[in-house]
Amino acid sequence: MNRGAPAVSGYGVLLQQVINGLSLGAMYALLALGFTLVYGILELINFAHFNVFMVSSFVGMWALQLLGISGQEQVLTGLALAGALVFAFAATMLAGGVLGVAIERLSLRPLRSVPGTAAMITTIGVSYILFNIILLTVGAGSENYPNPLPVVRWQFGEVTLELKTVLIWGVTIVLMMALNLFVNRTRLGKAMRATAQDSEAARMMGVDVDRVIVTAFFLGSALAGAAALIFGLYYNYTSFIIGYTAGLRAFTAAVLGGIGSVPGAMVGGVLIGLIESLGGQLIAVRWTDVIIFSILILVLVFVPTGLFGRAAPTKS
Amino acid sequence: MLSRRSLIIQLSTTALVGALATHARWAAAADKTVKVGINLPFTGADAHDAELIKDGALLAIDEANAQGGVGGYKIEVLLLDDGTATAGQYDPAQAATNARKMVADKGVVAAIGPQMSGSGKAMSPILSQGDLATITPSSTNPDITDPKFAGQYRPKGKPIYFRTVTTDAFQGPNMANYYADVLKVKSVYVLDDSGAYGVGIADTFQAQAEKRGIKVLGRDQLNPKETDYSTTLTKIKSLNPDALYYGGVAQAGVKVVKQASDILPKMIKGGGDGLYGAEILRGAGFPAAEGWYATIAAPNILENPEAAPVIDRFAKKYGQQPENYSITAYDAALVILDAIKRVAASGKEVTREAIRDAMQTARVKTIQGEVAFDDNGDLQNRVISVFRIVKDDKYPPDDVLHQYKYLGVAPQSS
Amino acid sequence: MAGVGVPKATRGYAFSRARPFLRVSPRARARLAVLGITAAALLFPLVNHNDADIDSAANALAFAALALGLNIVVGFAGLLDLGYAAFFAIGAYTYGVASSWQLQPAWTGFWEPFQWLDLVTRFHAAGGDVVHFQVSFWLMLPIAAAVAAFFGVLFGAPTLRLKGDYLAIVTLGFGEIVPIVARNIPSVTNGAMGLNGVAAPQFFGFDFGIDATPYYYVGVALVAFLILTSQRLKDSRIGRAWMAIREDEVAAMAMGVDRVRYKLLAFAIGAAFAGATGTFYVAKLQTATPEIFMFPVSVMILVMVVFGGIGSVWGVVVGALILQILQSWFLEDLSGWLHALGRLVGVDWLQRVELASSIELIFGLILVLMMLYRRQGLVPAARRTRTLSLDEQTVRIAPGNPLPFPPPLAGEGQGEGPLFQIADLSVRFGGLVALHSVELGVPAHSVIAVIGPNGSGKSTLFNAITGLVSIDQGTINFAGEEITRLRPHQVLERGIARTFQNIRLFPNLSVLENVMIGMHARLATGPVGAVLRLPASRGEEAAARERALQILSLFGNRLLPRADHPAASLSYANRRRTEIARALAAQPKLLLLDEPTAGMNPSETLELADQIGSLNKHGLTILLIEHKLDVVAMLADKVVVLDHGEKIAEGPPATVRRDEEVIRAYLGRSAAFV
Repeated sequence: MNRGAPAVSGYGVLLQQVINGLSLGAMYALLALGFTLVYGILELINFAHFNVFMVSSFVGMWALQLLGISGQEQVLTGLALAGALVFAFAATMLAGGVLGVAIERLSLRPLRSVPGTAAMITTIGVSYILFNIILLTVGAGSENYPNPLPVVRWQFGEVTLELKTVLIWGVTIVLMMALNLFVNRTRLGKAMRATAQDSEAARMMGVDVDRVIVTAFFLGSALAGAAALIFGLYYNYTSFIIGYTAGLRAFTAAVLGGIGSVPGAMVGGVLIGLIESLGGQLIAVRWTDVIIFSILILVLVFVPTGLFGRAAPTKS
Repeated sequence: MLSRRSLIIQLSTTALVGALATHARWAAAADKTVKVGINLPFTGADAHDAELIKDGALLAIDEANAQGGVGGYKIEVLLLDDGTATAGQYDPAQAATNARKMVADKGVVAAIGPQMSGSGKAMSPILSQGDLATITPSSTNPDITDPKFAGQYRPKGKPIYFRTVTTDAFQGPNMANYYADVLKVKSVYVLDDSGAYGVGIADTFQAQAEKRGIKVLGRDQLNPKETDYSTTLTKIKSLNPDALYYGGVAQAGVKVVKQASDILPKMIKGGGDGLYGAEILRGAGFPAAEGWYATIAAPNILENPEAAPVIDRFAKKYGQQPENYSITAYDAALVILDAIKRVAASGKEVTREAIRDAMQTARVKTIQGEVAFDDNGDLQNRVISVFRIVKDDKYPPDDVLHQYKYLGVAPQSS
Repeated sequence: MAGVGVPKATRGYAFSRARPFLRVSPRARARLAVLGITAAALLFPLVNHNDADIDSAANALAFAALALGLNIVVGFAGLLDLGYAAFFAIGAYTYGVASSWQLQPAWTGFWEPFQWLDLVTRFHAAGGDVVHFQVSFWLMLPIAAAVAAFFGVLFGAPTLRLKGDYLAIVTLGFGEIVPIVARNIPSVTNGAMGLNGVAAPQFFGFDFGIDATPYYYVGVALVAFLILTSQRLKDSRIGRAWMAIREDEVAAMAMGVDRVRYKLLAFAIGAAFAGATGTFYVAKLQTATPEIFMFPVSVMILVMVVFGGIGSVWGVVVGALILQILQSWFLEDLSGWLHALGRLVGVDWLQRVELASSIELIFGLILVLMMLYRRQGLVPAARRTRTLSLDEQTVRIAPGNPLPFPPPLAGEGQGEGPLFQIADLSVRFGGLVALHSVELGVPAHSVIAVIGPNGSGKSTLFNAITGLVSIDQGTINFAGEEITRLRPHQVLERGIARTFQNIRLFPNLSVLENVMIGMHARLATGPVGAVLRLPASRGEEAAARERALQILSLFGNRLLPRADHPAASLSYANRRRTEIARALAAQPKLLLLDEPTAGMNPSETLELADQIGSLNKHGLTILLIEHKLDVVAMLADKVVVLDHGEKIAEGPPATVRRDEEVIRAYLGRSAAFV
């Protein structure tokens, strides 16, 4: 045993923390993305988003269990692995999307024309409901996530890179590119952008605003579902509480980047992830939340609409 | 066709008989029951653990009732919830209200609970005022029974806050001794889960470790609601201590165990009784959990031949394995039952004052050995047992009795 | 006026056969209700001796107090605060630390005067003499409130200017940070383990101890005081300013409300309520842990406010009491009854159902259902207005009265050069140049009309003058002072008032309240005066109300009968008139009217043009944006023409009418100039 001598040099550990931070950042970015999509169109803070994420992760767990996988000791490779993952992703993204659409249809559509905070408060209520349904049925315990991924580690000097980190980044980048393509190249995507800028004008131009909103909710919640499966596979863990902190951090990321801005969500997510890991390394983990919020407040003081946020035309 | 007259006769007879029967039942019930209050946070994040504690206590009480009660008295349970939606977990203000409720109900002669020390601090003065004794199976904050704070927590002087679990004052330091003497650890990093229990036990561990010459390379607090602890574990890896100590419960513990197996595979890792239980085994699984040390504030349960049948009965009745605190709750109930029996046998009236006095002088054989209380209400038996998780393929992976290998008693502080 | 007895014939059938109770006027009914509730509250512990029930009630009162505080922030001022529990925590720990054994600095001479004041005592500990803090609970109530208010200002100053949704996340962050800090500084707060030995209050030698009843009465007094304060603030200049900010921040600013100051005030007062409640709560509990003050508590208080009725003082009290008592008392009993029922009918699951643990789920459902079906809450904040009788609605329009306030600038600066001068003004929005080097002079007592095609920058000009958009270049001078970079409420204070092209009234406030907000900058009542109802404040309020009514009477009987109606319920033309009345209430020297006759028919247009002309004859200088060129011809001394942000013509109406450039730009090649 090394008697208290550091195993990793200063730079090594910083690099490792940067890698950790980037993994975290990817997850926060995915969550923030879904959240910001809805905000961009409806100017609605959807608190239920993060518990849709939590519920989807349980769906993913059940989907994998359905395939007969439990725990981390049954490892698959090749086609079997790909098949299992596709099945699980389809399950979680579908579950998330459907749940999101249901929430919109049942509790938010009736409030669409109501000004003020009524809709946002409704999402708080829905969030509570989802949280408690899981708490009261599945219980408060930690669930060991079924994971068919092989554990592969690459060592680069003092820095360890794992397969699952690469996986997160791979999936996140693919999803972001797909989203980008959708928003910028398809008609529905264009309709979404138009609605985000001016829903009245879009409606008058023949855009089916209802359909656009449902699409936004579906897409955003499906992204949350994808994030949920990635989360479960990365940490081998899920529980009723995961929406809480991940949600808070993703929410902060979206605001930091400018709510409503897609690149803002991505940048914000990565930033928050890095702040978390580097702040924890250089200061202490118990101050992480304080650090994150202090930085957020500082940024907002100087850039009141977030890093990439849309500026208001009048000085109001 | 019934004539009206016979109908009236029939109805009134039925009513009369029914009334008598009910009255008789009530009367029968009223003469020989005593109430025991059970105050646990059934609402919110702690609900799961609260259920397990309740189940442990009810196992003992239901078994006693099935045999006709103790000392001729049947036990009626008054369940109170000190969790609220407002707090999302245990709520000391609600605990205080519940304490008042129990005190106001003259039928309540003893109580089990609370689960959390925060509730205990709020309840203790009220219970003292009402001369109502409670036994907690899990509250380990030493302040509540500390004579230094007696004026605050037992204004009437007599101890009313008894425990079937040893306070942090012993569990932490004894494990530090074990680290120093048996594991020959020279440097350690301490983590806790920001809860009252975790902080308390980590504090006492750290203090003792420093006294024993173990270098404490750092101390940090984890957020149990967070999932990713890689930051702090990476930091620990870079500092390269000989060992890690985690004070806290399973909510964060499961994640620590899982993630540490990736990042700190070779390090000595241990913690308090929050790491002893089926939730750790289920949540973290193998191989992650393999090799972790855990302590419990009791002698080895497995050595007690009475333990296995109780555990079986628990599993059969409730469909799951008991946790550590289910056992201490079962033992707490046994102490109360014993107190009732002794007071009844002595011919005195079963009042809460008499029960309290009987509990003070209790010497009860329980699952965790002989339970007796000192002048402050703390458990006299300060034995801290050390276990290590070693996978035994012959038994299911969440079988607590067999996946935790008993290593011995942690050295007592001199 | 509203409140005067409505003729018996219109009261309706039910009343004529009403029981005696219903014959009492609503005002007296309200008073009786308050009296009844007070009596019930005071007698409750004497009737129900169960200490646990009194304790539950005391806890419920604490949450009622918190709901009242949040109501000021969210309900009155419209600021979404998702971290309100932070101030609760600050108040709690302030008392906890100042009155427990937590801090024990070594004794030095420095502490002697404090000992003399009975704030600390000297304690003989094992290692030497130490200081024991024992500040009186009664003293700490206002002190903790002040400390919390201080943190409210500290936190609010950089953040209250943020847009609503951003403000929400930042307040959420603050609500997260405070308990974390409390946990991470165990030397001060004992961290996660919780404070020990927080002292109970003493009242002239009587120690409160553990008995719940004295705390209950303190709770009643606290809630009563906070209700009174809330009501008085609501019905004062301060409350009006808050509600203006809530309804339409931009219009509020333009009417002289310093929004930063008033938002901070709302935030600070809300924080103070929470701080005082924190002290009360911790004194009763005699311990404090960080977990009592986390995010779910903030959300729960918001639920209580929403459930009871946002903005309604009694509503939030009722909401808080119901929700608290539901979870700490009623649901457990209900579960008990269900168990008994289950035993009776032999249904197994009934015997085991535990409603109390599903309370969070129930709260979530309540929240969603309330938002979908009864957004205004249990006790809505909206006031009841008397509907107009058919006669009143079809009455003939009577002409208005002359202006009630002394004509501005009587004898001031007559003919001494322009009252108002814009030089080289340029405004850019990103790449778009909205105004380019515009020059404009407005002589005192004149009417200047600004005309131009749509998009020529007319409204931008008004926005630039009133400080609503930033100016890239140029200067604006008014009455000898440069006002270029002033904020909107400062511009109003200097004497420039305006109306908006698309009418920005405060929709949920009454016509009278809208006009009285116009007077905001001319009144002086502050929060203290409002709460204490000082004679000066009362006098000022009464005079303001009188003057508002006088201004409304300018428009004859169009607005006066509707003075108590919400502005949103008025016809378009009446809303315009109200907006003008509101601007006049600010006693401006210069009035900016943005398309005042838009949407009016010819006879209404003529009437309003007449009124504008008479305002001008009384000394008011007017800058007018108009599309109706007959109005321009009738009123304007000079016409300025803008096109694409530049001035293309200036001069008397007749001259401008013939200017070729103007015709080309504005009217197209072949249009005739009316």
